[in-house]
Amino acid sequence: MSVRESTAASVRRVAVFAATTARPTTERERERRRIAIMCLPFFALATVAGFVPLAMLVRMSVAADVIWIEGWSLDAWRTLLTEPTYRRVAWNTVWFVGLATVVSVVLGVAVAHVLEKYDLPFERVVVAAVSFPIALPGIIVAILVIAMLGRQGLVTNAIAAVTGTSAIDLASATAITGLFLGYVYSLVPRATMVLRGTYAEVNTQAEEAARSLGASRWETFYRVTLPEIRPGIAAATILTFRSGLAIFGTVLLLQSHYVITLQIQREISVGTYRPDVAAAIGLVYVVFIVAFTFVGLRFVRTDTVTL
Amino acid sequence: MSEVTLESLTKRYGDELAVDGIDLTIRDGEILGIVGPSGCGKTTTLRTIAGFETPTRGRVRFDGVDVTHVPPEERHVGLVFQSYALFDTMTVRENVAFGLKMRDVPQRERRERASALLEMLDIAALADRRPTTLSGGQQQRVGLARALAIEPHVLLLDEPMTGLDAALKARLRTEIRDLLADLGVTAIYVTHDQEEAMAMCDRIAVLNAGTVEQVGTPSAIYRRPANAFVANFIGNSTLLTGVAEDGRVDLGFAELEVAAATNGTVTVAVRPEAFEFEREGSIDAEVTSATYLGDRTQLTATLPDDTTVALHADAAETYRTGETVSLSIDDTSVHVLE
Amino acid sequence: MSDDAEPQRRSRSGVGVEPNSRTDGGSVETTVEAWTPSRPALSTRLGRPLVLGIVTLVVLVLSVPVVVTFVSSFAETATGILPRGFVTFEHWRDVLGLGDDQMAVIPGLAFSLAIATGGMILNVVIGVPIAYALTRYEFYARDWLNTLAIVPLVPGVVLGLAFVQTYPNHGRSALGLIAGYCLLKSPYMVLTVQSSFQSMDLVRLEESARSLGASWPRTFLTVVVPHAKRGILAGCIITWTLAAAEFNFTFMVVSGSPDPFAVFLYRNTSNATYMQQAAAVSVYFLLVVSAIAVLQLIGNRGFTTIRDQ
Repeated sequence: MSVRESTAASVRRVAVFAATTARPTTERERERRRIAIMCLPFFALATVAGFVPLAMLVRMSVAADVIWIEGWSLDAWRTLLTEPTYRRVAWNTVWFVGLATVVSVVLGVAVAHVLEKYDLPFERVVVAAVSFPIALPGIIVAILVIAMLGRQGLVTNAIAAVTGTSAIDLASATAITGLFLGYVYSLVPRATMVLRGTYAEVNTQAEEAARSLGASRWETFYRVTLPEIRPGIAAATILTFRSGLAIFGTVLLLQSHYVITLQIQREISVGTYRPDVAAAIGLVYVVFIVAFTFVGLRFVRTDTVTL
Repeated sequence: MSEVTLESLTKRYGDELAVDGIDLTIRDGEILGIVGPSGCGKTTTLRTIAGFETPTRGRVRFDGVDVTHVPPEERHVGLVFQSYALFDTMTVRENVAFGLKMRDVPQRERRERASALLEMLDIAALADRRPTTLSGGQQQRVGLARALAIEPHVLLLDEPMTGLDAALKARLRTEIRDLLADLGVTAIYVTHDQEEAMAMCDRIAVLNAGTVEQVGTPSAIYRRPANAFVANFIGNSTLLTGVAEDGRVDLGFAELEVAAATNGTVTVAVRPEAFEFEREGSIDAEVTSATYLGDRTQLTATLPDDTTVALHADAAETYRTGETVSLSIDDTSVHVLE
Repeated sequence: MSDDAEPQRRSRSGVGVEPNSRTDGGSVETTVEAWTPSRPALSTRLGRPLVLGIVTLVVLVLSVPVVVTFVSSFAETATGILPRGFVTFEHWRDVLGLGDDQMAVIPGLAFSLAIATGGMILNVVIGVPIAYALTRYEFYARDWLNTLAIVPLVPGVVLGLAFVQTYPNHGRSALGLIAGYCLLKSPYMVLTVQSSFQSMDLVRLEESARSLGASWPRTFLTVVVPHAKRGILAGCIITWTLAAAEFNFTFMVVSGSPDPFAVFLYRNTSNATYMQQAAAVSVYFLLVVSAIAVLQLIGNRGFTTIRDQ
């Protein structure tokens, strides 16, 4: 069969496929039409609000004239690759968010474990306290950090009163520790939520079997529970890391550490207006998140990834 | 293996009394069945023996030693669950060797003992597979091997065969029974299937609403039920009211030659097989339904005093609804309840 | 492992074997030391208090700032360790627009809520059908589409940046915000509705309705959707609440008045007093608390897409 014939055959197949989907005669074809109809609204939105703007981002990152988006230039990418500032921002982001992720997931395991295994008197209160911060935007988290650790913060002043040091020296809201706490504040509830879902599926009878076979509580956790929740921990890590990368409001207000989101904002601020560089950073960011998520998903069941 | 004693065991959850003062001894090397309707306290009793529940009152003794407050990992109790509860993250062999590992048995010995058990249970070929790749019957064999590996004082089996199909059940039943007898394992076998309990167990305890109704050998429980509950729960019984006097019970429409402990009104439990079909029987009963079951025909009929009875009739005969059959009662297989 | 008495326990021929009388007159050998209480394992003694301590700390860190902020909004001053001068409603009056005009959040909040409502409605129209298609049918590239629908792959900051460049005229309008919020928050709607669909036997439900004579669109609208109404409701509450205080995307896009709620908070961090800000933030807290209450009422585990079984 020649190339032209096979191409013609493919075109014919696609045409038949489209025709039967539009005018179905069998139940299978009707089902296909239903699927198409049900997915259409989402596709429309994703195209208009997602794909087209992302394509625009690509175009902008290689535009010579950044105001009218005309011409072609690789300046933005060259800047990104050569200026050491950007390597520093990347490294800042990865270690800072990575550390916050590890801490949050470990704490999340502890919280999920206690909620599932221990009989707590105020379980509903704990659940509410842990899930509440999911609804708080980063900007409010920053305000809370200032309220606790700022110069007039509650914790700052309490420590100052006890130790006799000046509150101004103690204030850590705009230090990197304050920012770290803010990140953990936002991320612990997200990690906990995924892990609670995993914990609910843990086979408690297998744990009891382990106890009856002579394993202590710790051994049971280490050898039976932990291997079982490993996919949940992986999912929680992916989700938490991704959420951590996206944090913007907190770092915008506290300004103590240059991470990627803050850098994007700086690139389009008055004075340093370089939207092509901002677009390039944004693209690197999106590509990294997509790659990271899909590589991670190869090891994790998709439906455990929530929020 | 050990003797297990429960002394006025009581477990209360809030207002709910799950187990209400159970006294029970499981003798060394015997298989004791625990049967009863759901919610009767079977599982709570089992979990208390295993150490996952601490009784509100009462004691659990192994060979006379009080273990009521000993944590589960120090009790040496083997557990076999209905849901298998295998460790999906480990291989079959690792599952079986787990208890030995917890006891710091050296790896070579662990491997040998696990292999021996897998051999014994006929699943040596599956040693390196994951539990999730096995069939239900194979998983249950792994569960049993795992529990036996620690040479438990007592083996607790919680409805181990409920998930399996009938043919497999029948085969596994004899196999497990023989195996446990060979090893001399003390075992407690919880089931809601009375036929399974009869086939597997040396003695059976019938539980109802957290209390023991009767303990005895399968035949004692079947032939001489202690009360109406046991008579109805184990097998099918018709309960008839009569007046006892000097070794005879007058049912009104028939008279039985059975001894009752006291004179006066008594309840008599009659098994379906105690009714005999005769040409000139003393009792006339009207057939209300007939169901052909292959080896027999199941009849329900109304006695002269309007009691409904279940009857086992010859499958070769045909019966029609509304027909009158003539019956007599075999005196030797009726039992007067106390 | 905690117990040193282990070897004796395994074999019954160990030391300390003595007869023990039985009620039935028989006698049984027993190892008396077998259950002399051994030291409980380290993890049993320390593990639980340690884990409980950590969790208590986490819960305190998560809840104390919120409670303190809420309480402070009723205080006159916050110099010193604890806020003082209770109870005053002055800051709440400012925030609600009855006092100092500069701190009135109501116009911004109302604007945000209106936009959030638009995004929520759009999300129902878009999220419910795709959640159904993904749960009910097997089709080519289903897994990819699923990932696309439930994983927020483009962060708000980047989407906002791309949005204003692509749609310079409409991107900054209410319509642009609605489209952006809808896309950013759609995973929450798809997830909650999906979990609702997963808990029922969609195929049987649909087949029985159709065998009884209902057309497919009718089956979907009158049988399937009503069955998922709790999931849809939960999705609505979550997407609405989150959109009401969305900052990242909004900040990149918005210019002009009124400032949406979160942007308003940001712009006033320097010129508002701490108590005024506490009151402004507390308005949103109240919103979230009501959302959580409704979510728990309809069977969700608080502010999550996970449902209690």
